[in-house]
Amino acid sequence: MKKSALELRDVTKIFQKGHEVVRAVDMVNLSVAEGEMVTFLGPSGCGKTTTLRMVAGFELPSDGSITIRGKDMTNTPVNRRQIGFVFQNYALFPHMSVYNNVAYGLKARGEKDSDIRLKVLSALNLVGLVKTENRYPSQLSGGEQQRVALARVIVMEPQLLLMDEPLSNLDAKLRLHMRTEIRKLQKKLGITCLYVTHDQAEALTMADRIVVMNKGKVEQIGTPFEIYSNPQSLFVADFIGHANVIHLPVISIGDDEISVAIPDGGSFSARALKPHIYSADDTIYHEGKNAALIVRPESVAVVKRDDDKTHFSAEVVSSIFVGSHMEYELTLPNGDTVKASVPFQSGMKIFDEGDEVSLIFDVSNSVFLPA
Amino acid sequence: MLERNLHKPTRKSMMKSDPALFSAMVAVWISFAIFIFLPILRLFMTTFVVEGTFSFVNMSEVMGKSYHIKALYGSLILATAVSISGTILGYLFALAVTRTSLPKVFKILLGGVTILPLISPPFTSSISLTLALGPNGMLLKAFGIGDFSIYGFLGTWISETLTYFPVAFMVITAILNTMSANLDDAALSLGASRWRMFRTITIPLSIPGIGNSILLLFGASLADFATPLILGGHSFPVLPTEAYLMITGMFDLRGGASLSFLLLVPALFVFLIQRLLMGKKSFVSVTGKNGARTEFAKLPTELSVVIGIICTIVVAFILYLYAIILWGSFVEVWSVNNSFTLRHYGYVFKHGKKAITDTLLIAFLSTVIGSVLAVVIGYIVQRKKFIGKRFFEFSSLLNYALPGTVVGIAYIIAFNERPILLTGTLSILVAAYVFRYYATGIRSVIASLEQIDPALEEASLSLGASSTRTFTHITIPLIIPAVLAGMRYLFIHCMTAISATIFLVSVRWTLLTTRILESMTELQFSQASAFSIVLILIVFIADAIMFYLLKLSTAKYHKPQEITNEKIGA
Repeated sequence: MKKSALELRDVTKIFQKGHEVVRAVDMVNLSVAEGEMVTFLGPSGCGKTTTLRMVAGFELPSDGSITIRGKDMTNTPVNRRQIGFVFQNYALFPHMSVYNNVAYGLKARGEKDSDIRLKVLSALNLVGLVKTENRYPSQLSGGEQQRVALARVIVMEPQLLLMDEPLSNLDAKLRLHMRTEIRKLQKKLGITCLYVTHDQAEALTMADRIVVMNKGKVEQIGTPFEIYSNPQSLFVADFIGHANVIHLPVISIGDDEISVAIPDGGSFSARALKPHIYSADDTIYHEGKNAALIVRPESVAVVKRDDDKTHFSAEVVSSIFVGSHMEYELTLPNGDTVKASVPFQSGMKIFDEGDEVSLIFDVSNSVFLPA
Repeated sequence: MLERNLHKPTRKSMMKSDPALFSAMVAVWISFAIFIFLPILRLFMTTFVVEGTFSFVNMSEVMGKSYHIKALYGSLILATAVSISGTILGYLFALAVTRTSLPKVFKILLGGVTILPLISPPFTSSISLTLALGPNGMLLKAFGIGDFSIYGFLGTWISETLTYFPVAFMVITAILNTMSANLDDAALSLGASRWRMFRTITIPLSIPGIGNSILLLFGASLADFATPLILGGHSFPVLPTEAYLMITGMFDLRGGASLSFLLLVPALFVFLIQRLLMGKKSFVSVTGKNGARTEFAKLPTELSVVIGIICTIVVAFILYLYAIILWGSFVEVWSVNNSFTLRHYGYVFKHGKKAITDTLLIAFLSTVIGSVLAVVIGYIVQRKKFIGKRFFEFSSLLNYALPGTVVGIAYIIAFNERPILLTGTLSILVAAYVFRYYATGIRSVIASLEQIDPALEEASLSLGASSTRTFTHITIPLIIPAVLAGMRYLFIHCMTAISATIFLVSVRWTLLTTRILESMTELQFSQASAFSIVLILIVFIADAIMFYLLKLSTAKYHKPQEITNEKIGA
């Protein structure tokens, strides 16, 4: 097995807020391979940044251990961890030129001036900033500042690159561009990277693996594909992309499949997931009780009302043309709302508000979770 | 187990992981013990311990004299009057500068004139008021008024108002400037008249500034010693001068200490209220993300005109007072023989040379030592977490909060005998200045650190720099402007302040301010004027140099710090 670049074991952070004890990070376990890019995704206050800051050494864990390249670093001060940290606001030193910003760490390390010069210039070159070394941060655009922040870190050849929402201060277009650029650079240098974001598109497009966090706990760790198609919890399903969540009564339970009753009489079967928080012999689905059907809008087909018992009858509430797709909002007889996103093709049947239709859920892209 | 872990990092780290910080803390605490706690404790003991037991004998003896009760009332009435009149005047000036369409030149003049009292010794307006309205006063003669005395409440009140209203002006200008101009636009667009806008938007939002200004001026007037000494006269006693006269005139340390204790109570009270109010931090954040910056709406025309007239009169009067001092320094005998002479300047540079060099040396040493302490204390307070932090901050500001007279008396009591015999030395003067006036430096360092994102220091650490290197290479360069701003005020105070140090001067070490006072008590008005002019010039030049350095230090990456709220605080 590949030696892991980073190992988090039961990492926990407790803050005391007045008399209240807040578990900001709760028993986080994670193993990151060399050269891997892992994003931490979750709503604000979910503990992702605190986790990153503990890996950096800005905060010390209340409990648990942090191992970097096999060495226990749990209580090592940040300046001896050899990590590179890119801050949300870049934290460029305003009183130093670009050159001195990038050279700062090398100077602190006591390297020779001639070596420093070579390294700084090549790092600036690498991030696409040439001839800016004599400027001051206040004279640079947001995107350029971002690049300086990157250069300042990679010039140190850190064991780990830690990034805390580095793109959130850029405008939308530049953000898209920097996304691919950072990913390319990370692959080129083969550097292990932890990347915190609350933007799911960023997480999905940049990561080898995603850690979804909520309320201090890890909800799910997996590749973007796994996270998207096999959400382990309702939170993950809802947080990544949009998911329709429909609560329906279970009528029969198979090995890894269950069937539920459709509001107007039929039945529907699909894979039933067993989230990792349950142990092997827990029964989590019960006949007669509700299960949550998770289906993404793009896995819903809208057709004329038919009699197929595995289809869901519905009424169109709104119908919007967005160019590449038709976006429908529909209601089921039990009052639940379902969204459908149907690729637009010329000549296709377009439904209007009030139309009675049937919905076909793509079985291979539908899953059940405990309600 | 987790509970224990919680406290582990903060407690252990101070001594072990940051030995530099730990030794700095120890050194600062020791200096507090000697120069802040010991004097107060000795003052307390002198007042309340009689023959080894706790007693109110001294206090009741002092309180038993109706003249002292009169002084207590006098102090409180004067402080109330000055805080109200000074705040009103300051508010009018602030409105004139921020909310009227008066000519720009006029606004600059207003700003410039308000700086004058701040860089002058505290006697300046008293001296010129005496010259103008005192016996043989110029204005009295001009208007043919014979029977009038400037001495007493009226003169003291006018003089202190003119001396302290610039503080109100700065505090209130700062708050008027931080308001969002969009609020004015919103009020007007909702159909409010300019009067209504002024009444319902501008005034309510400036209340924090007004409150702060009243407290600052109340404290400043309560502690002022120089003005009532010259203008109070026998009919209007106040506590600081009574305490001074008791000690220097009657050599009654116990009586003086007890009197100063009476003064200490209201002063501490005001200080605590102010801390409480400021602690809430109703800071309007100026992040620059306020959308388009629009101009403040102007006041109603009638009001602008009235404000303009009042400001013009006050400015003219202040300039007149300074002109009198300048003129007075060049005449033989004021009002008696008005022929031109340089005699008084000759005297200043011959017999006052020692006072000049002593004052400069003491101010220089105090500024340097005070700034270093201000950086260390400000950094510890703003960036570090430790048990007793609030007490630490409170202690650091205690001498500043106490009236100068109290501090002066406490210092002579504490350092008059072994083991710490400092009376008559340079150190006692420097210590008195440092621990009183570094407060502005501490505040400006704290304010500046609040503006500096801790991420900058974290970035330095994460790039492998040690915490010491981070402090010297990142933190210090970034707070240099604040340090220089603090130094400016420290230096000005060291050159001009007198209330504490009047007790501490000696034959070996004397100050310009005490020479001015001596000249005044010997009725050598022209000499006093010449000393004042020389002092004002020195302060002005030194201040200009420091302002230039300040500009230079920040030219590269941001604007120099303006004189803002709270930096002055009399």
